[in-house]
Amino acid sequence: MDPRIDHRRYMKTLRLDEAELRARRAFFELTDEDLARLAALRPFAERVTDAIVDDFYKLILSQPETKKFFPDEAAVRRVKKTQREYFLGLFVGRCDLAYVEDRLRVGAAHDRIGLQPKWYLGAYRKYMQLICDHLFAELKDAGNVRDAFESIEKLVYFDAALAVDVYVAAKIEALERHQAAIRELSTPVIRVHDRVLLLPLIGAIDSHRAEQIMDSVLLKVSEAQARCIIIDIAGVPVVDTKVADSLVKTTAAVRLLGAEVILTGITAQVARTIVQLGVDISTMHTQSSLSEGIELALTFVGKSIQAAKRSRSPNRSGEAKSGKRA
Amino acid sequence: MKGTIPILRLGGTLLATIPTELRDRVAQDFQDDILTALEERGGARGVVIDISGVETVDTYVARVLADTGRMAKLMGARTVLVGMRPEVAATLVRMGYSMEGVLTALNAAEGLALLRRRAR
Repeated sequence: MDPRIDHRRYMKTLRLDEAELRARRAFFELTDEDLARLAALRPFAERVTDAIVDDFYKLILSQPETKKFFPDEAAVRRVKKTQREYFLGLFVGRCDLAYVEDRLRVGAAHDRIGLQPKWYLGAYRKYMQLICDHLFAELKDAGNVRDAFESIEKLVYFDAALAVDVYVAAKIEALERHQAAIRELSTPVIRVHDRVLLLPLIGAIDSHRAEQIMDSVLLKVSEAQARCIIIDIAGVPVVDTKVADSLVKTTAAVRLLGAEVILTGITAQVARTIVQLGVDISTMHTQSSLSEGIELALTFVGKSIQAAKRSRSPNRSGEAKSGKRA
Repeated sequence: MKGTIPILRLGGTLLATIPTELRDRVAQDFQDDILTALEERGGARGVVIDISGVETVDTYVARVLADTGRMAKLMGARTVLVGMRPEVAATLVRMGYSMEGVLTALNAAEGLALLRRRAR
Protein backbone atom coordinates (compact mmCIF):
# COMPACT_ATOMS: atom_id res chain seq x y z
CA MET A 1 0.00 0.00 0.00
CA ASP A 2 1.34 3.38 -0.99
CA PRO A 3 1.53 5.43 2.22
CA ARG A 4 0.79 8.62 0.33
CA ILE A 5 -2.70 7.44 -0.61
CA ASP A 6 -3.45 5.53 2.58
CA HIS A 7 -5.32 8.35 4.22
CA ARG A 8 -7.50 8.92 1.16
CA ARG A 9 -8.78 5.37 1.48
CA TYR A 10 -9.88 6.21 5.01
CA MET A 11 -11.96 9.11 3.68
CA LYS A 12 -14.06 6.39 2.02
CA THR A 13 -13.97 3.87 4.90
CA LEU A 14 -15.04 6.51 7.41
CA ARG A 15 -17.57 7.91 4.91
CA LEU A 16 -16.15 11.38 5.36
CA ASP A 17 -18.27 13.44 3.02
CA GLU A 18 -19.80 16.89 3.38
CA ALA A 19 -22.73 15.57 5.45
CA GLU A 20 -20.45 13.68 7.83
CA LEU A 21 -18.21 16.73 8.15
CA ARG A 22 -21.21 18.90 9.05
CA ALA A 23 -22.37 16.35 11.63
CA ARG A 24 -18.93 16.16 13.21
CA ARG A 25 -18.50 19.91 13.33
CA ALA A 26 -21.94 20.28 14.87
CA PHE A 27 -21.12 17.76 17.56
CA PHE A 28 -17.81 19.42 18.42
CA GLU A 29 -19.64 22.78 18.26
CA LEU A 30 -16.93 23.94 15.92
CA THR A 31 -18.45 27.05 14.40
CA ASP A 32 -17.25 29.48 11.73
CA GLU A 33 -16.72 31.92 14.59
CA ASP A 34 -14.25 29.50 16.16
CA LEU A 35 -12.43 29.16 12.85
CA ALA A 36 -12.26 32.95 12.44
CA ARG A 37 -10.86 33.25 15.94
CA LEU A 38 -8.23 30.62 15.15
CA ALA A 39 -7.25 32.44 11.97
CA ALA A 40 -6.85 35.65 13.99
CA LEU A 41 -4.49 33.78 16.34
CA ARG A 42 -2.19 32.88 13.46
CA PRO A 43 0.47 35.53 14.29
CA PHE A 44 0.52 34.30 17.88
CA ALA A 45 0.89 30.72 16.68
CA GLU A 46 3.79 31.60 14.41
CA ARG A 47 5.62 33.26 17.31
CA VAL A 48 5.21 30.31 19.70
CA THR A 49 5.47 27.34 17.33
CA ASP A 50 9.15 26.60 17.90
CA ALA A 51 8.90 26.87 21.69
CA ILE A 52 5.81 24.64 21.84
CA VAL A 53 7.19 22.02 19.50
CA ASP A 54 10.50 21.89 21.41
CA ASP A 55 8.77 21.44 24.76
CA PHE A 56 6.41 18.93 23.24
CA TYR A 57 9.28 16.74 22.06
CA LYS A 58 11.00 17.02 25.44
CA LEU A 59 8.11 15.00 26.88
CA ILE A 60 8.05 12.52 24.02
CA LEU A 61 11.80 11.95 24.07
CA SER A 62 11.84 11.62 27.87
CA GLN A 63 9.80 8.40 27.77
CA PRO A 64 11.48 5.24 26.46
CA GLU A 65 8.23 3.92 24.96
CA THR A 66 7.73 7.00 22.81
CA LYS A 67 11.39 7.79 22.26
CA LYS A 68 11.91 4.55 20.36
CA PHE A 69 9.83 5.95 17.48
CA PHE A 70 12.54 8.57 16.92
CA PRO A 71 15.82 6.69 16.69
CA ASP A 72 18.13 9.54 15.66
CA GLU A 73 18.56 13.29 15.45
CA ALA A 74 17.53 13.39 11.80
CA ALA A 75 14.24 11.67 12.62
CA VAL A 76 13.59 14.15 15.42
CA ARG A 77 14.31 17.09 13.10
CA ARG A 78 11.95 15.63 10.53
CA VAL A 79 9.04 15.16 12.94
CA LYS A 80 9.59 18.55 14.50
CA LYS A 81 9.17 20.09 11.08
CA THR A 82 5.98 18.06 10.50
CA GLN A 83 4.79 19.01 13.96
CA ARG A 84 5.28 22.72 13.25
CA GLU A 85 3.19 22.33 10.10
CA TYR A 86 0.54 20.48 12.06
CA PHE A 87 0.47 23.14 14.76
CA LEU A 88 0.19 26.02 12.31
CA GLY A 89 -2.51 24.04 10.50
CA LEU A 90 -4.74 24.62 13.52
CA PHE A 91 -4.65 28.34 12.85
CA VAL A 92 -5.62 28.43 9.19
CA GLY A 93 -9.25 29.18 9.82
CA ARG A 94 -10.83 26.47 7.72
CA CYS A 95 -12.20 23.02 8.44
CA ASP A 96 -13.29 21.48 5.14
CA LEU A 97 -12.77 18.09 3.55
CA ALA A 98 -9.26 19.02 2.46
CA TYR A 99 -8.44 19.81 6.09
CA VAL A 100 -9.94 16.47 7.19
CA GLU A 101 -7.93 14.61 4.58
CA ASP A 102 -4.77 16.28 5.82
CA ARG A 103 -5.59 15.28 9.41
CA LEU A 104 -6.27 11.69 8.37
CA ARG A 105 -2.72 11.58 7.10
CA VAL A 106 -1.58 12.08 10.70
CA GLY A 107 -3.69 9.17 11.94
CA ALA A 108 -2.58 6.95 9.07
CA ALA A 109 1.09 7.76 9.72
CA HIS A 110 0.72 6.93 13.42
CA ASP A 111 -0.97 3.65 12.60
CA ARG A 112 1.77 2.76 10.12
CA ILE A 113 4.53 3.17 12.66
CA GLY A 114 2.45 1.36 15.32
CA LEU A 115 2.03 4.34 17.65
CA GLN A 116 -0.93 3.53 19.86
CA PRO A 117 -3.73 6.01 20.67
CA LYS A 118 -2.68 6.20 24.33
CA TRP A 119 0.54 7.94 23.27
CA TYR A 120 -0.93 10.47 20.94
CA LEU A 121 -3.88 11.19 23.20
CA GLY A 122 -1.37 11.76 25.98
CA ALA A 123 0.67 13.93 23.65
CA TYR A 124 -2.41 15.99 22.80
CA ARG A 125 -2.80 16.66 26.52
CA LYS A 126 0.69 18.12 26.64
CA TYR A 127 -0.09 20.18 23.59
CA MET A 128 -3.12 21.71 25.25
CA GLN A 129 -1.14 22.56 28.36
CA LEU A 130 1.63 24.24 26.38
CA ILE A 131 -0.86 26.20 24.29
CA CYS A 132 -2.67 27.30 27.42
CA ASP A 133 0.56 28.52 29.05
CA HIS A 134 1.52 30.54 25.99
CA LEU A 135 -1.98 31.97 25.62
CA PHE A 136 -1.86 33.31 29.16
CA ALA A 137 1.55 34.84 28.62
CA GLU A 138 0.41 36.44 25.38
CA LEU A 139 -3.18 37.52 25.93
CA LYS A 140 -3.20 38.27 29.66
CA ASP A 141 -6.99 38.81 29.79
CA ALA A 142 -8.62 35.67 31.22
CA GLY A 143 -11.77 36.06 29.11
CA ASN A 144 -9.80 36.25 25.86
CA VAL A 145 -7.67 33.29 26.87
CA ARG A 146 -10.76 31.28 27.65
CA ASP A 147 -12.35 32.06 24.25
CA ALA A 148 -9.17 31.29 22.36
CA PHE A 149 -8.49 28.12 24.30
CA GLU A 150 -12.03 26.88 23.74
CA SER A 151 -11.76 27.29 19.97
CA ILE A 152 -8.39 25.55 19.90
CA GLU A 153 -9.69 22.78 22.11
CA LYS A 154 -12.64 22.10 19.79
CA LEU A 155 -10.39 21.72 16.76
CA VAL A 156 -7.82 19.62 18.63
CA TYR A 157 -10.52 17.23 19.85
CA PHE A 158 -11.92 17.17 16.33
CA ASP A 159 -8.46 16.15 15.07
CA ALA A 160 -7.98 13.57 17.82
CA ALA A 161 -11.31 11.96 16.95
CA LEU A 162 -10.17 11.61 13.34
CA ALA A 163 -6.88 10.08 14.43
CA VAL A 164 -8.65 7.53 16.65
CA ASP A 165 -11.14 6.75 13.89
CA VAL A 166 -8.32 6.01 11.47
CA TYR A 167 -6.64 3.83 14.05
CA VAL A 168 -9.83 1.81 14.59
CA ALA A 169 -10.57 1.62 10.84
CA ALA A 170 -7.06 0.31 10.20
CA LYS A 171 -7.49 -2.39 12.84
CA ILE A 172 -10.87 -3.41 11.41
CA GLU A 173 -9.34 -3.64 7.96
CA ALA A 174 -6.59 -5.88 9.28
CA LEU A 175 -9.18 -8.09 10.99
CA GLU A 176 -11.16 -8.37 7.77
CA ARG A 177 -8.05 -9.37 5.89
CA HIS A 178 -7.34 -12.08 8.46
CA GLN A 179 -10.91 -13.29 8.36
CA ALA A 180 -10.71 -13.59 4.58
CA ALA A 181 -7.51 -15.61 4.95
CA ILE A 182 -9.11 -17.88 7.53
CA ARG A 183 -12.15 -18.29 5.31
CA GLU A 184 -9.93 -19.33 2.46
CA LEU A 185 -8.03 -21.79 4.67
CA SER A 186 -11.14 -23.23 6.31
CA THR A 187 -12.60 -24.50 3.05
CA PRO A 188 -9.70 -25.85 0.98
CA VAL A 189 -11.41 -27.34 -2.04
CA ILE A 190 -9.06 -29.62 -3.96
CA ARG A 191 -9.53 -31.04 -7.44
CA VAL A 192 -8.81 -34.77 -7.18
CA HIS A 193 -9.81 -35.72 -10.70
CA ASP A 194 -11.49 -34.24 -13.72
CA ARG A 195 -14.78 -32.84 -12.36
CA VAL A 196 -14.29 -34.46 -8.96
CA LEU A 197 -13.58 -32.16 -6.00
CA LEU A 198 -12.58 -32.88 -2.44
CA LEU A 199 -13.15 -30.75 0.64
CA PRO A 200 -11.35 -32.12 3.70
CA LEU A 201 -12.90 -30.43 6.72
CA ILE A 202 -10.69 -30.07 9.74
CA GLY A 203 -11.52 -28.55 13.09
CA ALA A 204 -14.70 -27.44 14.78
CA ILE A 205 -17.58 -26.19 12.68
CA ASP A 206 -19.80 -23.47 14.09
CA SER A 207 -22.84 -22.09 12.34
CA HIS A 208 -20.81 -19.27 10.77
CA ARG A 209 -18.29 -21.67 9.25
CA ALA A 210 -21.09 -24.00 8.19
CA GLU A 211 -22.58 -21.18 6.12
CA GLN A 212 -19.17 -20.44 4.59
CA ILE A 213 -18.73 -24.11 3.72
CA MET A 214 -22.03 -24.17 1.88
CA ASP A 215 -21.31 -20.99 -0.11
CA SER A 216 -17.78 -22.04 -0.94
CA VAL A 217 -18.77 -25.58 -1.95
CA LEU A 218 -21.52 -24.28 -4.26
CA LEU A 219 -19.21 -21.74 -5.84
CA LYS A 220 -16.41 -24.24 -6.45
CA VAL A 221 -18.74 -26.90 -7.84
CA SER A 222 -20.24 -24.37 -10.21
CA GLU A 223 -16.85 -22.96 -11.26
CA ALA A 224 -15.34 -26.38 -11.93
CA GLN A 225 -18.63 -27.76 -13.32
CA ALA A 226 -17.86 -30.69 -11.04
CA ARG A 227 -19.99 -33.80 -11.14
CA CYS A 228 -19.42 -34.43 -7.48
CA ILE A 229 -17.66 -33.17 -4.41
CA ILE A 230 -16.40 -35.37 -1.63
CA ILE A 231 -16.72 -33.77 1.80
CA ASP A 232 -14.51 -35.59 4.27
CA ILE A 233 -15.50 -34.90 7.87
CA ALA A 234 -13.01 -37.27 9.52
CA GLY A 235 -11.15 -34.24 10.92
CA VAL A 236 -14.20 -32.65 12.50
CA PRO A 237 -14.09 -33.41 16.23
CA VAL A 238 -17.77 -32.93 17.04
CA VAL A 239 -20.62 -33.34 14.62
CA ASP A 240 -23.68 -32.17 16.49
CA THR A 241 -27.16 -31.84 15.06
CA LYS A 242 -26.41 -28.32 13.79
CA VAL A 243 -23.36 -29.43 11.84
CA ALA A 244 -25.19 -32.48 10.52
CA ASP A 245 -28.10 -30.28 9.46
CA SER A 246 -25.79 -27.89 7.61
CA LEU A 247 -24.14 -30.79 5.80
CA VAL A 248 -27.53 -32.09 4.77
CA LYS A 249 -28.47 -28.61 3.50
CA THR A 250 -25.20 -28.33 1.58
CA THR A 251 -25.91 -31.71 0.01
CA ALA A 252 -29.37 -30.55 -1.06
CA ALA A 253 -28.03 -27.30 -2.50
CA VAL A 254 -25.30 -29.07 -4.47
CA ARG A 255 -27.93 -31.37 -5.91
CA LEU A 256 -29.87 -28.32 -7.08
CA LEU A 257 -26.83 -27.37 -9.14
CA GLY A 258 -26.92 -30.79 -10.76
CA ALA A 259 -24.00 -32.34 -8.90
CA GLU A 260 -23.63 -34.75 -5.98
CA VAL A 261 -22.07 -34.68 -2.54
CA ILE A 262 -20.34 -37.71 -1.13
CA LEU A 263 -19.86 -37.52 2.62
CA THR A 264 -16.93 -39.51 3.93
CA GLY A 265 -15.27 -40.00 7.26
CA ILE A 266 -18.57 -40.89 8.88
CA THR A 267 -17.95 -42.34 12.31
CA ALA A 268 -20.45 -44.32 14.36
CA GLN A 269 -21.30 -41.23 16.39
CA VAL A 270 -21.94 -39.15 13.25
CA ALA A 271 -24.10 -41.89 11.77
CA ARG A 272 -26.13 -41.87 14.97
CA THR A 273 -26.55 -38.08 14.90
CA ILE A 274 -27.64 -38.00 11.27
CA VAL A 275 -30.22 -40.74 11.78
CA GLN A 276 -31.51 -39.06 14.93
CA LEU A 277 -31.98 -35.86 12.93
CA GLY A 278 -34.62 -37.73 10.96
CA VAL A 279 -33.08 -36.72 7.65
CA ASP A 280 -34.03 -38.58 4.51
CA ILE A 281 -30.78 -40.42 3.87
CA SER A 282 -32.05 -42.42 0.90
CA THR A 283 -30.62 -39.84 -1.51
CA MET A 284 -27.37 -39.16 0.36
CA HIS A 285 -24.09 -40.71 -0.71
CA THR A 286 -21.99 -41.60 2.29
CA GLN A 287 -18.92 -43.73 2.90
CA SER A 288 -16.95 -44.38 6.03
CA SER A 289 -13.53 -43.86 4.47
CA LEU A 290 -12.19 -41.29 2.04
CA SER A 291 -10.75 -43.92 -0.30
CA GLU A 292 -14.16 -45.49 -0.74
CA GLY A 293 -15.55 -42.02 -1.33
CA ILE A 294 -13.04 -41.42 -4.11
CA GLU A 295 -13.93 -44.75 -5.72
CA LEU A 296 -17.61 -43.81 -5.63
CA ALA A 297 -16.87 -40.33 -6.96
CA LEU A 298 -15.03 -41.77 -9.95
CA THR A 299 -18.07 -43.82 -10.91
CA PHE A 300 -20.00 -40.55 -11.27
CA VAL A 301 -17.61 -39.45 -13.99
CA GLY A 302 -17.51 -42.87 -15.61
CA LYS A 303 -14.12 -43.89 -14.26
CA SER A 304 -12.94 -46.61 -11.93
CA ILE A 305 -9.83 -47.61 -10.07
CA GLN A 306 -8.29 -50.82 -11.35
CA ALA A 307 -5.32 -52.85 -10.26
CA ALA A 308 -2.44 -52.29 -12.65
CA LYS A 309 -1.22 -55.29 -14.57
CA ARG A 310 1.93 -56.33 -12.78
CA SER A 311 3.99 -57.15 -15.83
CA ARG A 312 3.45 -53.76 -17.47
CA SER A 313 3.90 -51.30 -14.63
CA PRO A 314 5.54 -53.01 -11.71
CA ASN A 315 6.10 -49.84 -9.71
CA ARG A 316 2.58 -48.57 -9.65
CA SER A 317 0.01 -50.28 -7.51
CA GLY A 318 -3.12 -48.41 -8.48
CA GLU A 319 -4.17 -45.81 -10.97
CA ALA A 320 -7.39 -44.30 -12.17
CA LYS A 321 -8.20 -45.55 -15.62
CA SER A 322 -11.01 -44.97 -17.97
CA GLY A 323 -13.47 -47.76 -17.71
CA LYS A 324 -17.05 -48.57 -18.31
CA ARG A 325 -19.54 -46.39 -16.48
CA ALA A 326 -20.42 -48.19 -13.29
CA MET B 1 -48.25 -19.70 -26.54
CA LYS B 2 -49.40 -17.47 -23.73
CA GLY B 3 -46.05 -16.47 -22.38
CA THR B 4 -42.93 -14.80 -23.65
CA ILE B 5 -40.45 -17.61 -23.07
CA PRO B 6 -39.74 -19.53 -26.28
CA ILE B 7 -39.89 -23.31 -26.06
CA LEU B 8 -37.75 -25.18 -28.58
CA ARG B 9 -38.17 -28.76 -29.58
CA LEU B 10 -35.12 -30.94 -30.16
CA GLY B 11 -36.26 -34.40 -31.18
CA GLY B 12 -38.17 -35.77 -28.22
CA THR B 13 -37.11 -33.01 -25.86
CA LEU B 14 -38.48 -29.56 -25.13
CA LEU B 15 -35.86 -26.95 -24.32
CA ALA B 16 -36.54 -23.58 -22.72
CA THR B 17 -34.18 -20.90 -21.42
CA ILE B 18 -35.49 -18.67 -18.66
CA PRO B 19 -34.36 -15.03 -18.89
CA THR B 20 -32.71 -13.12 -16.02
CA GLU B 21 -35.78 -12.49 -14.00
CA LEU B 22 -38.77 -14.76 -13.67
CA ARG B 23 -41.83 -12.93 -12.41
CA ASP B 24 -44.78 -14.80 -10.93
CA ARG B 25 -47.04 -14.12 -13.92
CA VAL B 26 -44.40 -15.15 -16.44
CA ALA B 27 -43.66 -18.32 -14.47
CA GLN B 28 -47.33 -19.29 -14.50
CA ASP B 29 -47.62 -18.65 -18.26
CA PHE B 30 -44.45 -20.65 -18.80
CA GLN B 31 -45.93 -23.62 -16.94
CA ASP B 32 -49.08 -23.44 -19.08
CA ASP B 33 -46.98 -23.25 -22.27
CA ILE B 34 -44.88 -26.29 -21.34
CA LEU B 35 -47.94 -28.37 -20.54
CA THR B 36 -49.72 -27.22 -23.69
CA ALA B 37 -46.63 -28.06 -25.73
CA LEU B 38 -46.52 -31.55 -24.22
CA GLU B 39 -50.20 -31.98 -25.05
CA GLU B 40 -50.09 -30.63 -28.59
CA ARG B 41 -46.70 -31.74 -29.75
CA GLY B 42 -47.10 -35.31 -28.63
CA GLY B 43 -44.20 -37.64 -28.13
CA ALA B 44 -41.95 -35.37 -26.06
CA ARG B 45 -40.22 -37.49 -23.43
CA GLY B 46 -38.20 -34.83 -21.71
CA VAL B 47 -38.08 -31.17 -20.78
CA VAL B 48 -34.86 -29.22 -20.15
CA ILE B 49 -35.30 -25.88 -18.41
CA ASP B 50 -32.14 -23.76 -18.41
CA ILE B 51 -32.14 -21.35 -15.46
CA SER B 52 -28.46 -20.35 -15.64
CA GLY B 53 -29.43 -16.74 -16.33
CA VAL B 54 -31.77 -16.51 -13.35
CA GLU B 55 -30.24 -14.52 -10.52
CA THR B 56 -32.99 -14.72 -7.92
CA VAL B 57 -35.74 -17.24 -7.33
CA ASP B 58 -38.40 -16.92 -4.66
CA THR B 59 -40.27 -19.89 -3.24
CA TYR B 60 -43.30 -19.19 -5.42
CA VAL B 61 -41.32 -19.39 -8.64
CA ALA B 62 -39.37 -22.39 -7.31
CA ARG B 63 -42.66 -24.13 -6.60
CA VAL B 64 -44.04 -23.33 -10.05
CA LEU B 65 -40.89 -24.82 -11.62
CA ALA B 66 -40.97 -27.92 -9.41
CA ASP B 67 -44.72 -28.34 -10.04
CA THR B 68 -44.15 -28.02 -13.76
CA GLY B 69 -41.72 -30.94 -13.49
CA ARG B 70 -44.23 -33.03 -11.56
CA MET B 71 -47.07 -32.20 -13.98
CA ALA B 72 -44.86 -33.00 -16.98
CA LYS B 73 -44.03 -36.33 -15.37
CA LEU B 74 -47.74 -37.17 -15.18
CA MET B 75 -47.82 -36.50 -18.92
CA GLY B 76 -44.93 -38.86 -19.50
CA ALA B 77 -41.97 -36.46 -19.70
CA ARG B 78 -39.07 -36.05 -17.28
CA THR B 79 -37.98 -32.50 -16.49
CA VAL B 80 -34.41 -31.44 -15.75
CA LEU B 81 -33.58 -28.03 -14.26
CA VAL B 82 -30.14 -27.07 -15.49
CA GLY B 83 -27.54 -24.44 -14.64
CA MET B 84 -28.86 -23.20 -11.32
CA ARG B 85 -26.55 -20.56 -9.90
CA PRO B 86 -24.79 -21.23 -6.60
CA GLU B 87 -26.41 -18.27 -4.85
CA VAL B 88 -29.86 -19.36 -6.00
CA ALA B 89 -29.28 -22.90 -4.71
CA ALA B 90 -28.04 -21.55 -1.37
CA THR B 91 -31.05 -19.27 -1.00
CA LEU B 92 -33.56 -22.00 -1.81
CA VAL B 93 -32.01 -24.47 0.63
CA ARG B 94 -31.79 -21.83 3.36
CA MET B 95 -35.48 -21.15 2.85
CA GLY B 96 -36.01 -24.86 3.41
CA TYR B 97 -36.89 -25.48 -0.19
CA SER B 98 -34.78 -28.24 -1.68
CA MET B 99 -37.09 -29.22 -4.58
CA GLU B 100 -37.16 -32.95 -3.81
CA GLY B 101 -37.85 -35.15 -6.76
CA VAL B 102 -36.67 -32.60 -9.31
CA LEU B 103 -33.89 -33.69 -11.63
CA THR B 104 -31.02 -31.24 -11.97
CA ALA B 105 -27.90 -30.97 -14.10
CA LEU B 106 -24.97 -28.58 -14.34
CA ASN B 107 -25.78 -27.41 -17.87
CA ALA B 108 -28.04 -28.07 -20.84
CA ALA B 109 -25.72 -30.66 -22.41
CA GLU B 110 -25.63 -32.64 -19.15
CA GLY B 111 -29.37 -32.28 -18.84
CA LEU B 112 -29.91 -33.79 -22.27
CA ALA B 113 -27.44 -36.58 -21.48
CA LEU B 114 -29.27 -37.29 -18.24
CA LEU B 115 -32.59 -37.58 -20.10
CA ARG B 116 -31.00 -39.93 -22.63
CA ARG B 117 -29.71 -42.16 -19.82
CA ARG B 118 -33.12 -42.15 -18.16
CA ALA B 119 -34.83 -43.05 -21.43
CA ARG B 120 -32.69 -46.14 -21.85
